[in-house]
Amino acid sequence: MQIDEFLDPKVLIVSGKGGVGKTTVAAALALVAARHGRKVCMAEVDRKGTLPKLFGGGEVNYQPRELSPGVWGLNLNPEDALAEYLRVQYHMSRISRVFRSTHFVDYITTAAPGLKDILVLGKIWYLEQDRDHGGGAHGFDTIIVDAPAAGHMARFLQAPQGLADAVRVGPIRRQSEWLNEMLTDPKRSRVHLVALAEEMPVTETLETSTALDKDLGIPQGPLFANGIYTGLLTDEEAGDFETIASDDNIDELCAEAKVANINLDAEDLEALLGYARFLKARRDIQSRHLRKLRRGSSQPVIELPFLFSAGLALPDIETLADVVEEQVEKL
Amino acid sequence: MSRVNPISEIVARKEIVVCAGAGGVGKTTTAAALALQAALDGKKTAVLTIDPAKRLASSLGLKELTNEPSKVNKRKFTSAGLEMKGELWAAMLDTKTTFDEVVTRYAPSPAQAQRIIENRFYKNISSTLSGTQEYMAMEKLYELHADGAYDLIVIDTPPTRNALDFLDAPRRLTDFFESRVLRWFLMPYMKTGGGIFKVANVAATTFLRVVKRIVGSDVLQDTAEFFSNLEGMYDGFKERAREVAHLLQSDATSFVIVTSPAEDSVTEAMFFAARLNEAGLPFGALVVNRVHPKIGDGVDVRPSKLTKLEKQGGRAQFLAKLIDNEEAFMRVVRLEEKNLDALARKVPRHRWVRIPYLEQEAIDFGGLSLIADQLFEARDKIS
Repeated sequence: MQIDEFLDPKVLIVSGKGGVGKTTVAAALALVAARHGRKVCMAEVDRKGTLPKLFGGGEVNYQPRELSPGVWGLNLNPEDALAEYLRVQYHMSRISRVFRSTHFVDYITTAAPGLKDILVLGKIWYLEQDRDHGGGAHGFDTIIVDAPAAGHMARFLQAPQGLADAVRVGPIRRQSEWLNEMLTDPKRSRVHLVALAEEMPVTETLETSTALDKDLGIPQGPLFANGIYTGLLTDEEAGDFETIASDDNIDELCAEAKVANINLDAEDLEALLGYARFLKARRDIQSRHLRKLRRGSSQPVIELPFLFSAGLALPDIETLADVVEEQVEKL
Repeated sequence: MSRVNPISEIVARKEIVVCAGAGGVGKTTTAAALALQAALDGKKTAVLTIDPAKRLASSLGLKELTNEPSKVNKRKFTSAGLEMKGELWAAMLDTKTTFDEVVTRYAPSPAQAQRIIENRFYKNISSTLSGTQEYMAMEKLYELHADGAYDLIVIDTPPTRNALDFLDAPRRLTDFFESRVLRWFLMPYMKTGGGIFKVANVAATTFLRVVKRIVGSDVLQDTAEFFSNLEGMYDGFKERAREVAHLLQSDATSFVIVTSPAEDSVTEAMFFAARLNEAGLPFGALVVNRVHPKIGDGVDVRPSKLTKLEKQGGRAQFLAKLIDNEEAFMRVVRLEEKNLDALARKVPRHRWVRIPYLEQEAIDFGGLSLIADQLFEARDKIS
């Protein structure tokens, strides 16, 4: 698949269970899009996350800020979204400010639970439509949404439909229909689920993926399997080493090392072998879960490497972006 | 030098263990393994999980976990080759049911309890209001403890991104119920509010009209009814919240912070440790899960030499790959050590237990007991 085709929908929604590296994957997609000339907006939904840290610090607020060339970030919370909605729709900026500092949004969203999600999705829609509402239009080409955890995903994406069912007429009804149109149109938006190659994340991802296909009719793209041990040894090599590094051969191997001026003793070799075994054991576990993920989903799976340098900084994201580009082209 | 394992110490002395930490660090598994071992050693133990992990139920040989603890069949242990000296019970928090029980307890009459429970706003609270799950987890814990049926109760906490959510939940929820802004705003809908309504300013009326348009007037009606019905019950809620806080601060309780060596979960763990301290909650132990093993001291080969070795071909080339692989893992090990060193400045290492990445998964009964072995025996080797 061409990268341009991959980036065709303007809105890419990235979701996954907590701790799977959802934000990292979202950031890698943002870099890929930026490399291909797009002006990108990364929206973190309703939480103070790791986004600013990935891009070297500072704060990310409701007003988009450029984090890295071509990549902008914003923190998308329902409080600000409600204030903006009231300001834009009803010209009520003063009163909306008053209510922002209290439990007000809590009350409203408890009374009408879908509303929080609607507010968030509404802002995404604003960005997608590139509406000018006071701050000037931003002209984003790609909007990457670092969405709520997969468990809440169905509720989040179903909210517009729910509201459209509940409200028969009027502006709210119309607006929720607009959101639903955006979410169900594969040319406009797409969901990417992120998993680790482990029991629970794979099970949950498959459940969400099936729900998106069957119940919600929401288009999704390739799944991302994060943290895969794609070390320097193939499975075969890691296995072969057991024979090659058997007790009988230790002296010979040390001699080979000596030729390159490397001093290795039996203990060093044991450590080398230890890590080869560890890699193999972990990869066996991961392969099993990757097979399950591939079998169970309608989507192809893009494997992202475990980062041996993982301090989670821009160079790491660049590495992941390289892999994404490479893998997408192979699809 | 032998040192008491902090987990063994807690299990021997405490009645409640609360496992807390960021999402995805193995909290539920840690709680289950801890409870399993305590039960094996002779305690009547209940584990209360928040995470709806079906796998946990099946690995314990239970069809499903419910709000009331079910006993794990003794045969299950025997067939896994484990000798069970105590009892293991398991439950999964049902937020709505627990909340219903709370309402029934504090309502002045069964009829009023019923009115609240059937209210739509109330139904939404248990599923959507942040903090409710945390609050009910503590409520359920209190109830199980007061019941006195168990020697030890182990609970995992919701996967909140922010530790504050969990500690502040009771206060936030009572604040939520008592807010003045809400009353002011709902006044026209409150039965008693007619006279005072004039006080509400024009802005409020305009605002209300907009909100009504957004959520619908029946929704506002429901909300107002809910709060009218709740009148007079606040003291009960607050009293109970105080009792729960006392229990959590008491000698009976111990908090176990669960983390991984990754930077973000370490940050969260440090923050959580500080919060426990501020809130006067008893910290017991820190469990570091998913640690990459340190094997050897690192061979440290200069790149030029490695290239040379590679060019020798055959076995030597293979050896070069192994060195590369080892160096990659050593980088991770060093990075994790760096993160953990920062953590050690906040939480002393003698309260740590490290659980390395096992070469087998902890998803079945045997796997749980492997983790338990590590929990109760592993000690921090560096300190």
